[in-house]
Amino acid sequence: MRGIRDWAPEFDEYRRDESRTMGEASSISFPTDEAELRAVLAELERTAPDAPITVQGARTGLAAGAVPHGGHVLNLSRMNRYLGLRRDEGGAFHLRVQPGVVLAELRRLLAAKALPQAGWDAASLAALDALYGGPAQFFPTDPTETSACVGGMAACNASGARSYRYGPMRPHVSALRVVLADGDVLDLRRGEHRAHGRTLELVTEGGRALALDVPGYTMPRTKNASGYYAEDDMDAVDLFIGSDGTLGIISELELVLSPEPCVTWGINCFFASEAAALDFVSAARPRLSCAAALEYFDGSALGILRSARSGCAAFVSLPAVPESFAACVFVELECDDEGRAYDELECTGELMRSVGGSEKDSWVARTDVDRERQRLFRHAVPESVNMLIDRRRRTAPAITKLGSDMSVPDERLHDVVALYRRTLAEAGLESATWGHIGNNHLHVNVLPRDERDYAAGKELFRSWAREVTAMGGAVSAEHGVGKIKRDFLLAMYGSDAIDEMARLKVALDPRGRLGRGNLFDEARLDAAVAAMRKGE
Amino acid sequence: MRIVVCVKAVPGSTEVKMDPKTNTIVRDGGAAVINPFDAAALEIALRIKDKLAIEGEPCRVTVLSMGIPATESLLRDCVARGADAALLLSDRAFAGADTLATTYALSCGIARLEEPDLVLCGKMAVDGDTAQIGPELAGSLGVPCAAGVAALDAVGLRAVTVEREVDGGMATVEVPLPAVLTVAKDAAQLRFASIAGIRAAEGARVDVLTASACGADAARTGLAGSPTQVVRSFVPERIERGVTIEGDAAAQARAVAELLEAMA
Repeated sequence: MRGIRDWAPEFDEYRRDESRTMGEASSISFPTDEAELRAVLAELERTAPDAPITVQGARTGLAAGAVPHGGHVLNLSRMNRYLGLRRDEGGAFHLRVQPGVVLAELRRLLAAKALPQAGWDAASLAALDALYGGPAQFFPTDPTETSACVGGMAACNASGARSYRYGPMRPHVSALRVVLADGDVLDLRRGEHRAHGRTLELVTEGGRALALDVPGYTMPRTKNASGYYAEDDMDAVDLFIGSDGTLGIISELELVLSPEPCVTWGINCFFASEAAALDFVSAARPRLSCAAALEYFDGSALGILRSARSGCAAFVSLPAVPESFAACVFVELECDDEGRAYDELECTGELMRSVGGSEKDSWVARTDVDRERQRLFRHAVPESVNMLIDRRRRTAPAITKLGSDMSVPDERLHDVVALYRRTLAEAGLESATWGHIGNNHLHVNVLPRDERDYAAGKELFRSWAREVTAMGGAVSAEHGVGKIKRDFLLAMYGSDAIDEMARLKVALDPRGRLGRGNLFDEARLDAAVAAMRKGE
Repeated sequence: MRIVVCVKAVPGSTEVKMDPKTNTIVRDGGAAVINPFDAAALEIALRIKDKLAIEGEPCRVTVLSMGIPATESLLRDCVARGADAALLLSDRAFAGADTLATTYALSCGIARLEEPDLVLCGKMAVDGDTAQIGPELAGSLGVPCAAGVAALDAVGLRAVTVEREVDGGMATVEVPLPAVLTVAKDAAQLRFASIAGIRAAEGARVDVLTASACGADAARTGLAGSPTQVVRSFVPERIERGVTIEGDAAAQARAVAELLEAMA
């Protein structure tokens, strides 16, 4: 099934992703390598030259980036081979993969030292010997959804809990091959193609010279997955990471592996109030040098988990969370040795005491068994909320969970939480909040009881987009903008900046076919296409 | 109440490798963990301690293990989770012990402690699978034993009431103290250690006794005290033959019945 297939009911699941929104398409393809992918594009050029093309991976995205807006669905889940390995002068390993490689499988194969080597050249096999002969390596980007594929993770600049230490996906990608809408290819290795100021000059493998104007806006100094990466003298690789499938189709990636930490300990720190938890985070950031993750669960989230624990067999192995625990900060420590980990643990206890907490109110995981239970706890929270919403949908089918994805600078953490609490109370909305508090990046989940709550929640998010922007934050910190956060992006950067993005897109995709509806609305995109045709 | 919990260090990996020549487990120095059944036993002990504390009754939980010196860190972890004291029996003289010699060593260790009201063991160990230590220990101590305890219903100073797994269901039994209970894996989930617990455990004393220090008779410990003779151990041959049964439901049912008859 490598060519173009007309749409049929059997493909209907490819009309949606984890955002739970539904699109339309008239054809679909499942290429298995770059040559097949380019053949699909050539065939579309011949048969449907103006058809929109929506790129899909594992469809685990939460912003509807992979939901088609008509035309063709280019599903890359079968481009899932491991292509080779190199070791750079500094000793770092770079694994070359196709975009459909799934994160969970990548982790498993790396841990088991069982990467498929079919077709690898001698240099790759030599690098593999060095990889397996040395200290264990891993890929650090860790979105909660491990069935995500690496191409999709790059397309939305995914991150996850450990982004507190490792940052998002972007710095862990050292090279990309990008197929443009016309089938030509850009082969980009980090460090080799840099902009001069805000002008990026690239040459395709077909010999075409491109001069791209990088948008002039200033990105927020926070965790950010909102719109195109734009910075003076930026690397071309960074432009395509986080571009939501609008600039080109990633056909290969080189992933930078990192050494596995020698000691990993997890600590759930419980507090009697949210204020104490926030103070703990502010105090912990400069003190805990080995923290890889600082995650948060508010009182509502813990309450929902308590209810789910008593009603769901899957959660019965979770420890009971006492009623007196009103907030939880999860700290993951990664250290070179146990002595260092113990020092950091002591420091964590001291920090708990300094904000009025008790170091008795903590769960420490130092073994695989305990770490697995902590992982279950962290996953059970969103799962419990999804179960709650599913129950409510029986009487109000139009509602869904509304989850925010905004970040602010460190010094605005208390302010943004105060904003969330005040406005949620004013609107009379139920919520549960969790997420990456180390990066001031909380997922506030409005839990609508009915359609009125749902509409009020959406309105609240629009107001937060404005307020978070005013605090110097980002409207999307890790999920990407996709189709459902376009209004937030507009609030964050303003109309002129969005037009700059649209012009950049059209310079690479002159008919505006790739990822239509992502980042900006189609009218704005069509205006940019028309303007370019007129030679404006 | 005085409770002793017997714990064993077992390989941490779920993917145990076998040596193809000796057919013994390859213990490649990977991290050892507390046997999951023993972890459940420890949690049961700590719950009894919590309950008695509310009632104002004193309770002391001691963890006991026979193992290599590195087992001390495992016992310290048990203290971090709430045990009050730890005793490790560690000596080359204990090496190669079967269940009888292990039971003898543990009973020598228990004899060095104040006489316990309750001894808790995991029902079995995930690496040995014998399920013999608890009942043998009860025999050695001359006290009753309830094996395969799935739940603790009531705790008194003279008796405990437990639910235990039996063929075809569960039995509720009252066991007079002192007694030995062996605990099923799913009876309880061992609590996490807290930061406070870990800090306290770092300074806690873990007593380590040799065979002679705990007064063990050399003829009854280790290999010398183990009557079990392992004639041969082997990895069962994997037979991956399958039979595909086709036809409609009635024909398939007949074919299955014939196969079962042939196997009878």
